Amino acid sequence: MRGWDGLVSSALLGTERRPPRFEELPEKIQEQLGEGGLLDAAALATLYKRAGRIPLEGFTPIEPAVGADRPLPRPAAIRRLAAMLTGFQTTALGEWLRAADERGWGVPPEHLPALAEYARNRAQYRPLVVAAAGRRASWLADLNPDWRFLHDAVVESNDPAIWTHGNALQRRSWLRSLRRRDPAAAVEALREVWPAESAATRLEFLGLLFDQLSPADEEFCEAALDDRAKEVRRAAATLLARIPGSQYGERMAQRVWSHLSVSQGVIAVTLPTRVDASMQRDGIDPQPHEGLGKRAWWFRQILAAAPLSASRPEQVTMPVEGCAPEVLQVAWAEAAVRERSADWARALLTTNARTDNRTAELLRILPPDEWISAIELLRARIDLADLVGGLPVPWPAPLATFVLDHLAKVGTARNWARLASIAARAVPADVLDHPISREPTGEEDTWRRRLVETLTFRREMYEELS
Amino acid sequence: MKWSGAGASERAVWGLCQGSGKQPYQTVVELAGPAFKCSCPSRKFPCKHALGLLFLWATGEVSSAEEPEWVSAWLTERSTRAERSAERAEKKPGEVADPLAAQQRASRRADRVSAGMAELQSWLDDQVRRGLSGFEQRGYSELSRLAARMVDAQAPGVAGAVRRAAGVVGRGHGWPGELLEELSLIHLVVSAHGRLGELPPSLADTVQSRIGWTVETARVLAEGEKVEDDWLVLGRVIEPDDRLTVRRLWLRGVTTGRLALILNFAPAGRQLDPLPARPGELVPGVLSFYPGALPMRALLTQTAPRLPSPRPGGLNAKQALASYVESLAADPWNERWPLVLAAVRPARNGENWALVDQAGDALEVLPGVDLWTFLAVSAGDPVTVAGEWNRAGFKPMTCWDGDRPVILS
Repeated sequence: MRGWDGLVSSALLGTERRPPRFEELPEKIQEQLGEGGLLDAAALATLYKRAGRIPLEGFTPIEPAVGADRPLPRPAAIRRLAAMLTGFQTTALGEWLRAADERGWGVPPEHLPALAEYARNRAQYRPLVVAAAGRRASWLADLNPDWRFLHDAVVESNDPAIWTHGNALQRRSWLRSLRRRDPAAAVEALREVWPAESAATRLEFLGLLFDQLSPADEEFCEAALDDRAKEVRRAAATLLARIPGSQYGERMAQRVWSHLSVSQGVIAVTLPTRVDASMQRDGIDPQPHEGLGKRAWWFRQILAAAPLSASRPEQVTMPVEGCAPEVLQVAWAEAAVRERSADWARALLTTNARTDNRTAELLRILPPDEWISAIELLRARIDLADLVGGLPVPWPAPLATFVLDHLAKVGTARNWARLASIAARAVPADVLDHPISREPTGEEDTWRRRLVETLTFRREMYEELS
Repeated sequence: MKWSGAGASERAVWGLCQGSGKQPYQTVVELAGPAFKCSCPSRKFPCKHALGLLFLWATGEVSSAEEPEWVSAWLTERSTRAERSAERAEKKPGEVADPLAAQQRASRRADRVSAGMAELQSWLDDQVRRGLSGFEQRGYSELSRLAARMVDAQAPGVAGAVRRAAGVVGRGHGWPGELLEELSLIHLVVSAHGRLGELPPSLADTVQSRIGWTVETARVLAEGEKVEDDWLVLGRVIEPDDRLTVRRLWLRGVTTGRLALILNFAPAGRQLDPLPARPGELVPGVLSFYPGALPMRALLTQTAPRLPSPRPGGLNAKQALASYVESLAADPWNERWPLVLAAVRPARNGENWALVDQAGDALEVLPGVDLWTFLAVSAGDPVTVAGEWNRAGFKPMTCWDGDRPVILS
């Protein structure tokens, strides 16, 4: 504004030293000012300026997101979502998003910032949030660098410069996505940089090969058996054991047969007397193992690393000469988990074989309709929560009913709390109406009450989204 | 317990009890209540000294005596307190207990305010004559001292304006100009106060309220301008402070188009009154406006349950600024103004944001405002948004996703 700066410098220097020159001000102000002094003039000028403010020009609005929004579920469902985002029963958030997505519902856009923040540090929620955000996902990702993950994962960069010049995290994610698109190219990329990488990096990258593992990877893994680092050699052996028909498997099978034979329904084992160089190369650890004789330990490693085809499931129940039957059982359990063999899992679980910490994994390999009968059998020795805790959720309806029936009978003893908290999340939508959820729970904060609360919360959630 | 100087009158029993300390405890019980007082540090109430004393008295071991000074003083203080609270309970709201005393209080305050304004005026004139240079060093403390003087002078409104001016000193490159703006508007209040009698009555009310005179709620309800309408809740802004949380709730009449402000205060950490309706809903009711040249602040008397409302109509950027200028014409000190902007789209404005209307005119969003909820709702499409405007920018309060209101603050 004309004359304003003059007023400011008069005020700064003082009117004694620099008398204000009102004639510089707009005429309107001079008219109003009359006999007034500097502060009167400044007040008029201030209001003159404020009243004269005009809108900004030259701004280009951000291009709108293209596409259409999904319809929104009913208000009760939205209120539940909002409650979960403020910390109430937040563990059910993923389930809500999945159920809404399957039924074609969208999410009110005002909840997207909170959802994006939630998924920022929880990668497993990201695809759900991307689906919920629909057309707004990549629009928001463009604006907020923290939410870049909202761009569909497919758009991940495949710029080879990331592989040669990126940081550890970028390279890892680059290799992982290449492995998914083109497994052979990933091995090729790995081969190029292999000798220059540190042992820790080699180990990490080798771990990515479990995804899409196939006979095409055998040559590379076989070479890694001669790696400088022990951990890398061990990881290469583990990979090779998973490749069907590999030379490594063949070698292990040969070793099994040279120490184990079956005749007249009895297994005869001759334990190895030494670990030779080729066995060590294939990952057999010569160092003794706690709680097991040295030679039995060597044989257990051989049998566990050999393909299951080197033995037959019926052998689980055969008498054993030459070593304790448990040595064989534990080895077979390890191999059965690796090869995901339902026949072997059944053979081991239904015969009270010793399977150590592999039991829950073996149960998982069984067809779901066999879970209950296996659990009935194993329950005598193993805690129910340990057995079902490893099963994928949601459980099949019969298993869920079985567990809830059981919980309904046991009162409020503290030792059932863990099973109850597992069941609360694992029960499928069509069993949420189980009679236990209608039982009065009393005022005390017991596992029973929390179970009923969670089941009810989830049941209402599905009702609202239907 | 060792008692000395124990005695009883018609209305009380008292005594001195030798405890573990040097000074004996003074214990007195008023019999009518009964009420207890003891100088011991016990948190139990009544304490064991009072109970022991009563026990002695009940068994006839305390003889009649003249009330000592410390006993009669306490009894007198108690009875005046009781009278006063009884008076308060009887008094109807809005009614002045003693009109003469109230008038005297008001005139005493008016004298104090006048003295304060005179002091402020001469200080301002002094500064301008000698110059504000050097204010970077001395300005903040001098203005803070002055603000405290204005509180003493019972002019809290002016005190607030002086504190705001103190906040400007040394901040950013253009602070001398900003400071001159603030000081000139303080000067405007002070000189308006000097000729209060010559001003139109409504403007005089505005000046009084800027100085910090508050009109009692009962008087507003009894005498304030009444407007009946369905009031759309445009949104709310909550300003938490160390001591006092302030909530500004902005309303707009559906048929009258009148804008209004409902203020709520709560000490820090305490709950504010519940909202009459959620932002985006309608409250049918009567507003009683506080007096002034720009009557905005009001009290709500709700007459029917709240209602849902469709998306309201709004202004473009030019119209919005014009409506604020109109408010300045009525009340030159007006700082905040509610705006409903129609069909605006977000744009980047450096580190901050701007809202652009259909004609390409833009208003800046207040720096530091978290705009992500608005951005997610808009996704680049035109949106209607209600907010609070001040010179630093627009603070969004509520926006509409179609006809669905979304609360932003």
